[in-house]
Amino acid sequence: MIKTNDVCKVVETSEGALVILEGITLEINQGESVAIVGASGSGKTTLLSLLAGLDSPSEGTIVLGGDQDITMMSEAQRAKLRGEMVGFVFQTFQLLSSLTALENVMLPGELRSDPQAEDNAKKLLDRVGLGHRLQHYPRQLSGGEQQRVAIARAFASNPKILFADEPTGNLDAKTGAKIIDLLFDLNADFGTTLVLVTHDARLASRCERSILIEAGQLVSEVLETSAATA
Amino acid sequence: MKLALKLLIRDWRGGELTLLLAALIIAVGTVTTITLFVDRLQQALLLESASFIAADRVISASRPIETALLARADEYNLQRSATVSFLSMVFSDERAQLAAVKAVDDGYPLRGQLIIADEPFGSGRPTGAGPQPGSVWMESRLFPSLDTRPGASVDVGALTLPIAEVLLKEPDRGGGFDTVAPRVIMHLSDVDRTEIIQPGSRVTYRYLFSGDEGNLKAWEDSVRPDLPEDTRLYGVKEGAEEIGEALSKAERFLLLGGLLGVILAGVAIALAANRYAHRHFDHVAILKTLGATPARIDQIYLVIFIGLGLAATLIGAALGLIVQAGVAEVLRPLLPVALPAPTMKPVLLGLTTGMVCLLSFALPPLLTLRNADPVRVIRRDLDTANPSSLVAYGFGGLGTFGLMWWYSQDLRLTVLLFIGGLVAVLILGLLALLLVRSGRQVGLQAGSAWRLAVAGLQRRQLESALQILAFGLALMLLLTLFLVRTSLLSEWRNQIPADAPNHFAMNILPEERGEIRAFLDVAKVTVTPEYPMIRGRITALNGVAVAELTRADGGERGAPRLSSTRNLTATAALPKDNKILSGAWFSPASQVSEVSVEAEFAKSNGLKLGDMLVFEIEGRTLSAEVTSVRSVAWDNLQPNFYLIFSPSMLIDFPSTFMTSFFLDADQKALLSPLLRQFPTMTVLEVDALIEQIRTIVAQVTLAVEFMLVLILMSGAMVLLASIQASLDERMKQFVILRTLGASNQLVRSSLALEFAVLGAFAGLLAALGAELTVYGLEREIFDLDYTPTPWLWALGPILGAGLISVIGMLATRRVLDQSPVAVLRDLA
Repeated sequence: MIKTNDVCKVVETSEGALVILEGITLEINQGESVAIVGASGSGKTTLLSLLAGLDSPSEGTIVLGGDQDITMMSEAQRAKLRGEMVGFVFQTFQLLSSLTALENVMLPGELRSDPQAEDNAKKLLDRVGLGHRLQHYPRQLSGGEQQRVAIARAFASNPKILFADEPTGNLDAKTGAKIIDLLFDLNADFGTTLVLVTHDARLASRCERSILIEAGQLVSEVLETSAATA
Repeated sequence: MKLALKLLIRDWRGGELTLLLAALIIAVGTVTTITLFVDRLQQALLLESASFIAADRVISASRPIETALLARADEYNLQRSATVSFLSMVFSDERAQLAAVKAVDDGYPLRGQLIIADEPFGSGRPTGAGPQPGSVWMESRLFPSLDTRPGASVDVGALTLPIAEVLLKEPDRGGGFDTVAPRVIMHLSDVDRTEIIQPGSRVTYRYLFSGDEGNLKAWEDSVRPDLPEDTRLYGVKEGAEEIGEALSKAERFLLLGGLLGVILAGVAIALAANRYAHRHFDHVAILKTLGATPARIDQIYLVIFIGLGLAATLIGAALGLIVQAGVAEVLRPLLPVALPAPTMKPVLLGLTTGMVCLLSFALPPLLTLRNADPVRVIRRDLDTANPSSLVAYGFGGLGTFGLMWWYSQDLRLTVLLFIGGLVAVLILGLLALLLVRSGRQVGLQAGSAWRLAVAGLQRRQLESALQILAFGLALMLLLTLFLVRTSLLSEWRNQIPADAPNHFAMNILPEERGEIRAFLDVAKVTVTPEYPMIRGRITALNGVAVAELTRADGGERGAPRLSSTRNLTATAALPKDNKILSGAWFSPASQVSEVSVEAEFAKSNGLKLGDMLVFEIEGRTLSAEVTSVRSVAWDNLQPNFYLIFSPSMLIDFPSTFMTSFFLDADQKALLSPLLRQFPTMTVLEVDALIEQIRTIVAQVTLAVEFMLVLILMSGAMVLLASIQASLDERMKQFVILRTLGASNQLVRSSLALEFAVLGAFAGLLAALGAELTVYGLEREIFDLDYTPTPWLWALGPILGAGLISVIGMLATRRVLDQSPVAVLRDLA
C-alpha cells in the first residue's frame, strides 16, 4: 500500500542545509496499522507528511496504492489523490471553525460533489457518538468531541489509508483511550491502512507494527512492542 | 460552485466575513452617498449659480447674432432668451438721469428670478418674467434721482412708458462697477420705437441658453467655431467671478474628499481581505489535505469573492441611496434650494467603485490562498505565509490610480496625489519602523504594563510598523481634509465678512463729500475711506501709441484691454486684499508720477516695471511710470482698480469720489432721502448680491462639511479594520499572560498602552504627512495661502493615541472578559 525508497528531506536554514530525514526505505501493507515513534525532533512528523503527500521529499520515491508515485506528482495531482485515497486525523483536530460538526464531516464528500455527503456525514457522526451535536461549532465542543468529529471527517472520504498525527496528544488519558478505541474500531470496520505518529506507548502498542525514527533515520522496525516509545 | 456558495454562507454565519463585508459595504456606501449627494448638491448649486447669469450659458456680443446660429440651440432642446443693454438718458417731468437700460424678451430670466416691489426700497416679491410690452421697471434709486414714483411715466428715447414696478434685484446684475448706472428694464419689443439704437451705438446683445448639461456641452462645441470674433460664450464659472472661484474650489474639495474616501475604503478592504486570507490559510491547508486542488481553491474563493462583491456592492449602493436621501431630508430645512432628484449615474459609479476596490484590494490576497501549504496542518511551527505580495501591492496601486484618475478626470491631480502618497507611505513606513525600535529604550525603563506594551510592539516590529503606517495614513488623510476644509471655509468667510460694505456710493462731488459723510454719520452708518475716481484711458506705452501696439497675449478674449476707458484712482494706502507682486508701493512722500498696475492687466498687455504710460483724462494727458504690479482679489466685493496713481497725481483733475458703507435691511429707507438730497450721487446696492453669494457659500460649506463626516466614517472603518487585523495575535499574547497569572488589570493596561503608543506614533506621522500634503494641495490645487499649523503636532499624537486606544479597547473588550480557554477556542 505504501512503499518508500531512500527518502531524504533536507531543508535550507540560515546555518546551511539541515537533514531532517535520511535514507528512509520502508513498506506498509494494505490493512496494516503502523505507529511511527521517536523522540521530539526525530523527524517522525516530517515522515508522516511525506508519506501522505503533504510535502515533497528532497530525494527518493514514495508510492501509494501500488502504482501512484507521489514524488512525481504536482500539488494538484497529489491533492486529487489525497481526496480519493487518504484521510487525516491531527493532534490539533484541524476543524474549520466557521463550520458546524456536520458541515466539517460533509466537506470531503462535498469536495467530490457526492450527493450522499450529508447522509454519510450524519451516519458517521452518529457512529462516533455525536449524532446529537450535529449543529455545534468546534468551539462549542470539548477536545475529545472535536477529535471525534475529526475522525468522522477522516473516514468520510472512505479512505484507503488513514494518517494520524498524535491523535491523542491534546487529550487527557481517559478521553485519549476512548479516542484510540474509536479510531481502531472504525479502522477495522473500514479496512483502512493506518499510519500514525505518536508518543503514546499505549497507542503504539495497539498497532501491528512500530517504526522507530532517531535523528532522521529509520533505526528499527519492530513488531508490536512497548519498547517503541522513546 | 455549490460548495463555494455553501462555504460563503457558512463563513458569513461563522462571522468570518463580517469585517470584510462591512468594509466593502462602507466603501461602496460612502462613495455612493458622496457621489449621489454631491451630484444633487452640485446640480442645485449650478442651478442656483446659474441665476448669476440668468442662464446656463450666455453669448455676449456687440452686434446681433444671426438668427440661424441662435436657432441651432433648438436642435439641442435648449431654451433661449435674449436681452439688449445700452446706456441712455431717462427723463421724468423734472429731471434726467443716465440709466443702464436692459430690454428683455418674454423668456427672461431662464434661471433665477426678478425681485420687484410696489415702492422704492420696499419689501420685494419674486417674479419669473420681465415687464410687459409698453411698460418699464426701474431700480429704487432712480425714483429719488428722477423725483418720480411708481405709476408715473418716463421717457426712454422717443418712447414714453409707464413705470409698472420697482425693480429690487435682477439675477444677472453682477457686482461689477461697469454697470454703475441705475437699471431700467423694458420689453425687447419696445426697443425699436425708442430709436436709441443707431449704427455705431454701444449696445450689448446677450443671448441666454439653458437646458441639460450634456446638451449644452454638445451645443457649445457646435456653435463655438461659428461665433463671430468679438463675441464671448460663457457659463456661470466664467460669467460670475464673485462665486466662480468658490465653486471651483468646492468642486475640487469634494473631488479630493471623494478620492480620499476611495483610498480609505481601499485600505480598509485590503486590511480586511488580508485578515480574511490570513485566517483562511489554515482552512485552505485543511481543504487541501481533504483533496482540494489549487485550481479548486481558486474557484472556491473566486465564487466567494464574486458573491461577496455582489452582496456588498448592492447593499452598499442601496445604503448609499438611503443615507443620502435621509441626509437630504434632514438638511432640507437648512438648504436654501430644493435638491433635484438623484440620477442613476452616481449609483453606477458606486457599484463600479465597489467592484474595482474589490478587484484591486480584496482579490489579490484571496488569490494567494491557493499557495497555502497543506503541510501547515501538522507543522504548526511553519511561518504563517503572508498573503501580501508585490503582485497584490501592484494590483492595489493600479486600482487606486485608476479610480483616482476616473474620479478626478484630472491626470495632474491624480499623479500629484498618487506620487505624494507613495513617497509618504515609504517615508512614513521607515519612520514607523524607527519609532517602534526607539520605543524599546523608553519601555525598558518603565513599569511592567509599559514594558509589556513595548515588548508587544517590539515582538511584531514589522506588523507594528505597518499598523502605525495604516493608522497614520488614515489619520493623515483625515487631518489633511480637515485642514483644507478649514482653510477654504475661512477664506470664504473672509471673502464677505458679516459687516462687509453692501452699498457703494459713486459720483460724489468734492464739495458734497463732507455733507454726505455727515448725513451717514447721523444715521450711524460706518463709511469706508473715499477714493477719488475719474474715467480715463491709456494712449501710449513707452512713447508708442496704443493703437499701434500688438497685444502681448494676442488679444485673448475677456482679457482687459490696454486701450479701454477705465475708472482710475489715486491713493496713498494699498487697498485691502491687494498684494504687491513686484516693484514697491508708493512711498508716502512720493511726488513722482507713478502708477500701480494690476497683474493680469500687466500680463495681457505686456506691461513691466519702468514702463512709461501716457493717459488721456478729461481731455488732458498725464504720464506715469509703472512702479508696482499688484494682485487684486476681484471677488471681495470691494472697490477694485486696474490702475492706481500715486496720491498727488489726480489733485488737479476734476475727479469725483466713491465710498462704500454697510446698511442693514432696516436702514435701507435712508437711501431715498440720501439720493433726493444728493441727486448726482450714484448708489450701487450689492446687498442682494452678497446675500445670493452667502447662500451659495452656505450650500458649498454644507457639502464640504458633509463630505468630511463621510470621510471620517471611512477613516474609522480603516482604524477598526486595522485593529481587527491584529487582534488574533494580540489575543494569543493575552492568553499567555493570563495563563501566567497576569491580572486582568495588567493585561488591560498593557493593551491600552500598546494601542496608545501605536496611536501616538501614528498621530505623529499623520501630523508630519498632513502638514506636507496640505502645503502641496493648498499651493498647487486650491490656490490658498499656506500657513503652518503648529497645534497639529500636539493634536496628532493625542488624537491618535486617544482614538486608537478607544477603538482598540472597544474591539477587544468582549474578548478580555472571557476566560483564556474560551479565547483559545475562538482562535483555534
